[in-house]
Amino acid sequence: MRYDTVIVGGGLAGLTAGISLQKAGKSTAIVSTGQNALYFFSGCFDSIQEPTPEIKSLFSEAGIRVHYTPGVRLMPMGTFKESALALEDVSLFPTPQFGKKVLIINFMAYHDFFSSFLAQGLEKQGMECRIRFLNLGDLAQPELGPNQMRAVQIARKLDDVWEKVVQEVRVLLKDEDTVVLPQVFGLNDASIPERIRQGIPARVVFAGTLPPSVPGIRTQMLLKKRYEVLGGTYLLGDRVTGAHVYEDVVQNVVTKQLDRHYLEADHFILASGSFFSKGLSSNPFKIYEPLFELDMDYDPDRNTWYDPTFANHQPYLGFGVKTDAQLRPSRGGVPVKNLYVIGSILGETHPELGSGAGLAIRSALKAAQLITGQP
Amino acid sequence: MQYQEYTQSENNFEECTKCTICTAYCPVMQVNPLYPGPKQAGPDGERLRLRDPNFFDEALKYCLNCKRCEVVCPSEVRVADIIQSARIKYESNPPKVRDYLLSHTDTMGKLARPFAPVVNFATRQPLTKATMDFTLGIDKHRTFPSYSPHGFEGWLKRRRKEQAAFPEQVAYYHGCYVNYNYPKLGKDLVKVLNAMGIGVQLLEDEKCCGIALISNQFIKAATKNAQFNVEQLSKAVEKGLKVITTSSTCTLTMQEEYPNLLGVDNSAVRDSLLMATRFIYEKLEQGATLPFRPDFHKRVAYHTPCHMQRLGWGVFSQRLLQRIPGIEFTPLEQSCCGISGTYGFKKENYASSQAIGEPLFEQIRSVNPDVVACDCETCKWQIEMSTGYKVENPISILAEAISDKE
Amino acid sequence: MKSNEFDVIIIGGGITGAGTQRDCAMRGLRTLLVDRSDIATGATGRNHGLLHSGARYAVSDPESAQECIRENMILRRVAAHCIDESDGLFVTLPEDDLDYQKTFVQACRNAGIRADIIDPDLARRLEPSVNPDIIGAVRVPDCSVDPFRLCAANMLDAKLHGGQVRLHTEVTGILREGNTVKGIRTHNRNTGEDQEFYAPIVVNAGGVWGQELAQMAGIKVGMFPAKGSLLIFAHRVNNMVINRCRKPSNADILVPGDTVCIVGTTSSRIPLEECRNVAVTPDEVTLLITEGMKLAPRLASTRILRAYAGVRPLVSADDDPSGRNISRGIVCLDHETRDGVKGLITITGGKLTSYRLMAEMATDLVCKKLGVDKACETAVLPLPGSEEGSYEEVAKKIWENPTTAQKVAAARMGSRVSRIRSTDRRDEALICECEQVTMGEINAAIDRLEASTLTDLRRRTRVGMGTCQGEFCACRAAGLLAKAHGCIEKERADIDYFLQERWKGNFPIGWGDTLREAEYTQWVYKHVLGI
Repeated sequence: MRYDTVIVGGGLAGLTAGISLQKAGKSTAIVSTGQNALYFFSGCFDSIQEPTPEIKSLFSEAGIRVHYTPGVRLMPMGTFKESALALEDVSLFPTPQFGKKVLIINFMAYHDFFSSFLAQGLEKQGMECRIRFLNLGDLAQPELGPNQMRAVQIARKLDDVWEKVVQEVRVLLKDEDTVVLPQVFGLNDASIPERIRQGIPARVVFAGTLPPSVPGIRTQMLLKKRYEVLGGTYLLGDRVTGAHVYEDVVQNVVTKQLDRHYLEADHFILASGSFFSKGLSSNPFKIYEPLFELDMDYDPDRNTWYDPTFANHQPYLGFGVKTDAQLRPSRGGVPVKNLYVIGSILGETHPELGSGAGLAIRSALKAAQLITGQP
Repeated sequence: MQYQEYTQSENNFEECTKCTICTAYCPVMQVNPLYPGPKQAGPDGERLRLRDPNFFDEALKYCLNCKRCEVVCPSEVRVADIIQSARIKYESNPPKVRDYLLSHTDTMGKLARPFAPVVNFATRQPLTKATMDFTLGIDKHRTFPSYSPHGFEGWLKRRRKEQAAFPEQVAYYHGCYVNYNYPKLGKDLVKVLNAMGIGVQLLEDEKCCGIALISNQFIKAATKNAQFNVEQLSKAVEKGLKVITTSSTCTLTMQEEYPNLLGVDNSAVRDSLLMATRFIYEKLEQGATLPFRPDFHKRVAYHTPCHMQRLGWGVFSQRLLQRIPGIEFTPLEQSCCGISGTYGFKKENYASSQAIGEPLFEQIRSVNPDVVACDCETCKWQIEMSTGYKVENPISILAEAISDKE
Repeated sequence: MKSNEFDVIIIGGGITGAGTQRDCAMRGLRTLLVDRSDIATGATGRNHGLLHSGARYAVSDPESAQECIRENMILRRVAAHCIDESDGLFVTLPEDDLDYQKTFVQACRNAGIRADIIDPDLARRLEPSVNPDIIGAVRVPDCSVDPFRLCAANMLDAKLHGGQVRLHTEVTGILREGNTVKGIRTHNRNTGEDQEFYAPIVVNAGGVWGQELAQMAGIKVGMFPAKGSLLIFAHRVNNMVINRCRKPSNADILVPGDTVCIVGTTSSRIPLEECRNVAVTPDEVTLLITEGMKLAPRLASTRILRAYAGVRPLVSADDDPSGRNISRGIVCLDHETRDGVKGLITITGGKLTSYRLMAEMATDLVCKKLGVDKACETAVLPLPGSEEGSYEEVAKKIWENPTTAQKVAAARMGSRVSRIRSTDRRDEALICECEQVTMGEINAAIDRLEASTLTDLRRRTRVGMGTCQGEFCACRAAGLLAKAHGCIEKERADIDYFLQERWKGNFPIGWGDTLREAEYTQWVYKHVLGI
């Protein structure tokens, strides 16, 4: 099969690149080994300040509701973190003291939402907290098993009965000015969090849960849908296992499932993620990019890879594929002409592009621009 | 000395980073509170079973083997294979008579076909259904696929000479469904391939791929079938023939389950075994043509069967359908239909099965197509029974879209 | 008697201390056990988890070997739920001297240890992971033992016999009146409270820290701290203990333990000051892997879970610089006769396998001094959890069709699993998915087993010991601890400590899937949860 561009990796970076290229009239395919880091997405696009019109339209055209409100957001363990651009679910405040009295709602037997830690964090900010538990089994049948009380399973149930939650909260609400709910709403319908806000006569704050992240899965689904509506081919559950490179030009890539049926293209984008997604591999002797054996920017001495303190910045997270300003990598010092490297596989080698979601989106847009030749 | 350059474990169970993505996609976990979910039943459970085989949990039988966990796993853990292997190794409950009847599809087909009208009539009667429900545990809502009085094999044998006349040849593994229940699909394939100048041969012999035997724990019988089929496929491959299939489940079974679950080496035939849509698509890409009818018009929604998704070949069916002039094509969001072979036929699974399929049925109803295209026969029964929409293999749609022989 | 007065105070919550408390309590004494942190934090919890048959010592130290086999057979009966009767192999590789096998087998037989020379083919069938190149194999009755479980069961039984346990309570002074020890001064590290406790006898079971404790009473006990490093592999590669049939050396034992297997150890002498903070070096990691691969080649490509090191509490006896030829013999010091200080006993040396005997010796001495005439019953009466048959029978008695989590809990808790029987299905919620630890089991550990931190819980329930090393379960379990103790602030700090402690064991082997997991953990805690 032949495309204008083949993208290795279907996470935030790969999908953003794919959508941009499809919009520019290019034909693309994305090969994605399983799902990706969007599944534990916090809901905040870290390292993006005021979004460019391009980023705005990327989100709005995909039906992803975001808002730009520089400030802080409430983290699941009751701390606050500076943020600016977030999904609509995620409330951003000018300061951590956003209310006076808070009602925290959790579900019985749900261990992945930390209501007591949240309360402690909010109390530190001078807020008075009350925690109440809802019984999910009363709201939706059949009841989930004790080990099925996980964010996505709960969200699937609540997509149909979220209005009952609103009713219950209205009954429980006394004089609180704020209600904190777990981020388990609107898996398949991005409008639900906003409708819940409208239904409750207090400020509603959604706080994160342990993964999987419901807003993250929703974001992934919306981006993938947008990409496919634009005509992109998303090959899920396949893996690029090799590539043919002649004279510094990638000719095609080989996938595990399509085997002899190579994916050919004029341009290739490597968005295969960092260690977690196996974009980078490691053993006691080296850290390497396994697919093209691209040159790496890292220290080969293993003793320098880690900081013994967990909380400190870990050097290995900064390692990445070495690229030029055009995001083009090299092999054995020789640049590869039609390959662009984007997203977390870059590590911290391009600080000007930001980190996390910001790096993914910015590097993807940049690669798409370089490929289409459009500014 | 080199060490720890890479790590390996059976079915990659140790590559699991416990990210829980699989649990978000498991269709069973959503509807059955007793199922521990793919992560616990799979890689987590495997570690415990290595500690002590008695830690095996009978609830693993609720796994559909739809393999969606494998498709979404970012670590390439073969979650479903871990679960099915564990069932094969440790499951103790002997299979029931019902499981025998459901799983021995070719034996049942051979027995039933000569009496097709009687059997078909009988299995559609409320009384028979109620009896089967009560005595066998086959859910009364299900209708057995009807048996065709004339098998596909006989039909193609009668056309041996005519087929041999084509300059290019392929062999066709038709499977139980085409032979006993739905010869039309086989005939459609022959029509399409003939139109491309390709003749179709039968394999010297073939048996059921064995998927139903595997899921009902008739492992010895499944292994026998696997060895037999690999031998038959090898004979065709040695003659330089590609072997074409029309069922995604049979194909996945022969491609993946033979080596991974049954330990039957299929390396000699693996590359030559292709779904028809892939084969035809590749031919068209190489310049072959099909005589499409100018007046064809159809709104088609394509459902990627779970096993097709696992094969990674849904793209060929989709692109092939998109090539048909006059098709209005809508891809359906990948979602399990809930039947998973014999699973949904069992009384204890009926409710789960329907609940799993509901999101897909809902999608189909909202798209409201003329026909749903899908490469799997059990999906076809399930979707037709649950939505009333007609379901056809992409090959049948293709056959309808090309002109009859001039 | 006042509430701060006891018959005997035991310092040290390792297996020796816990065993001694149990024995004393069973003989009717009023006992108190204190430890500066938790049970089994020293050498008890930092070894292979090997219940020696004695074979390893048969050639070099026949006395220890005889002790081991006797205790091994006793513990199989009284501590059944802590022990996996796996048996062991002593294998000879082509590079080893096969003649040693004869010496070895003869020595074993002399010590009363069953040692069967078996065909290497049979050994390969019995233990498929063993190096296929072996030229000789001897089968011996080695077992694996869960030291945490064993220690907790002893502590629990002491409590059931009226004993008191104060963990996270540091001894800041030994109270002496003239030449008589009267008690101890302590500082509770959780509450900050300082308190004195009195007893006519104080037992120093402080392991390698026994030297410092003795010093507080003005007595010199010279410890010989020897660091040993080990690696935990992420799943069970072997089901039998695999040893090298040669003179004991580095990294020549591979022990299956619960869901993992452990290779070790190295041995190097370290100064006493470093004992509290031992770390595994890259060279040790390399040595452990490359030597381990000779026992079971699959270790070369098996995921490693963590690296850890412990310090052997050997009493220095000679000048051997390696510390390996020292007798692992039991040292029971009566400081009244040795140093003229009444009321203080030091029990040290020995090994995990002989803990019960050590406890018996110390208790006999305590009883003699207190004039108590009651026989030791610890070799006869089972520990709590080991009273009934196999875990399968135990589980079936409680649940008609037990799930994996219920069976696993029964295997961990033995007959005590009946405590987590519940009519509320919500108690079945898994907190730790890797090791299948339910909310019920965690609450039982908090209620009955003195668990006040996440690491305490880990030792008692295996929460956070699985492949993901506490990725999700740390927060879930912290929630339960916070609820039980009503102190959320402390729990936040506890999570940080737990994560740091996990990372400490992870980064020395931080590559491959372990590094992928570590990256994921960083994301979850720093970016998702905001810790």
